[in-house]
Amino acid sequence: MPSSPAHSGPSLSLVKDGPAPSDRTLDWSVFMARAQAGDREAYRRLLEEIAPYIRSLAVRQVQNRADLEDAVQDVLLTVHAVRHTYDPMRPFGPWLVAIANRRIVDALRRRGRAGAREAPLETEHETFAAPETNYHEAASDGRALREAVDGLPPGQGRAIRLLKLEEMSLKEAARTSGMSVAALKVATHRALKNLRKMLIAGKQKT
Amino acid sequence: MITTPDLIDSLAKGAAPVRRLRPPLVRAAGWLAFAASILALVIVAHGLRPDLAASLQTTAFAINFGAALATGVLAAIAAFVVGVPGRSSAWLLLPVPTLAVWMLNIGYGCVTAWVDLPAGLKLGDEASCFALLVVTGVPLSLVMLIMLRHAALIAPTQVTIMGGLAVAALTAVGLSLFHNHEASALVLLWNLGIAALLVAAGGLAGRRMFSWVAPR
Repeated sequence: MPSSPAHSGPSLSLVKDGPAPSDRTLDWSVFMARAQAGDREAYRRLLEEIAPYIRSLAVRQVQNRADLEDAVQDVLLTVHAVRHTYDPMRPFGPWLVAIANRRIVDALRRRGRAGAREAPLETEHETFAAPETNYHEAASDGRALREAVDGLPPGQGRAIRLLKLEEMSLKEAARTSGMSVAALKVATHRALKNLRKMLIAGKQKT
Repeated sequence: MITTPDLIDSLAKGAAPVRRLRPPLVRAAGWLAFAASILALVIVAHGLRPDLAASLQTTAFAINFGAALATGVLAAIAAFVVGVPGRSSAWLLLPVPTLAVWMLNIGYGCVTAWVDLPAGLKLGDEASCFALLVVTGVPLSLVMLIMLRHAALIAPTQVTIMGGLAVAALTAVGLSLFHNHEASALVLLWNLGIAALLVAAGGLAGRRMFSWVAPR
């Protein structure tokens, strides 16, 4: 991510194109001293200027873009948390670099630990490409239903197969089977009752 | 995830004035003064060992006492200096020479006094010994932990090892002030054992102890 162009004053371009960051550390020291006294503008300028520098330190160790930005933010948060430990009589560079290196290494360690424990879920963990092969439960439910339908008296079984499994209309089913519409309705009603009984019994058995 | 410019924005808005840490040497002196006052309190409550003056005349005891005291002071200074970001970690070597003298003296004491171990060091003595160690060691450790909580994010392991060494050395000094036995091999070993235990615990659990006083 590029450093925020919205805030880039002349100082930021100085850091980017002009002298090396080490030449800026004298200003940073002054900014930090003022920030410790509560000067928010100095503090904002300091953070904006050190962020690209921290990124340049982190990019040597962290390649992934999201992780890189995480590391930069971790360093900024740590600088914020321990800003009272900076002594303006001493150089700012080593103070910042010590914090940055420590936090970047810690972040790498954390990521290493997470990498050792977690594995990404990928498509080859499925057995076959066709989705239904991975729904074991659905497949066995379907088999139980088919077996139950086979166990019905022939008239009821045919009615269920035509009306529910093949999803015909009553008229089509009457034409195909030669049964009357009324007979089909009665057969379906009884078949559903029987199926319910059989399936519940089957479930209690297992 | 918050973007970095937004983070900077919120940090800058919430930046209250902070009180700068005093120089590490001043802070170390403060902690050492606290340690001295704890030892003084225990002296008032418990009384010095009766033969302290005579014992200080013997070379072995004097070396042991001086080396432990110096190790405690130097390790405390090292802990406070290394706890500040950007200070050279060469400061960790500061207590090493006196530590070496102390350990060599204990080793020498062990070798020479091995044959004439006092026949019966009773369990009661050991228990009061242990109570003294706890009474001096626990407050010293806690205060150092709190004073150095900012180091949790920077150098937790080095700081806890140095802090553990400082506490161990000073409790050993305290012990040799109170313990009314000869500086026998057993007592020296006891010292050494406690010192090793504190330093090892600091090394292993430093991170966790700090996350307890300075949660993030």
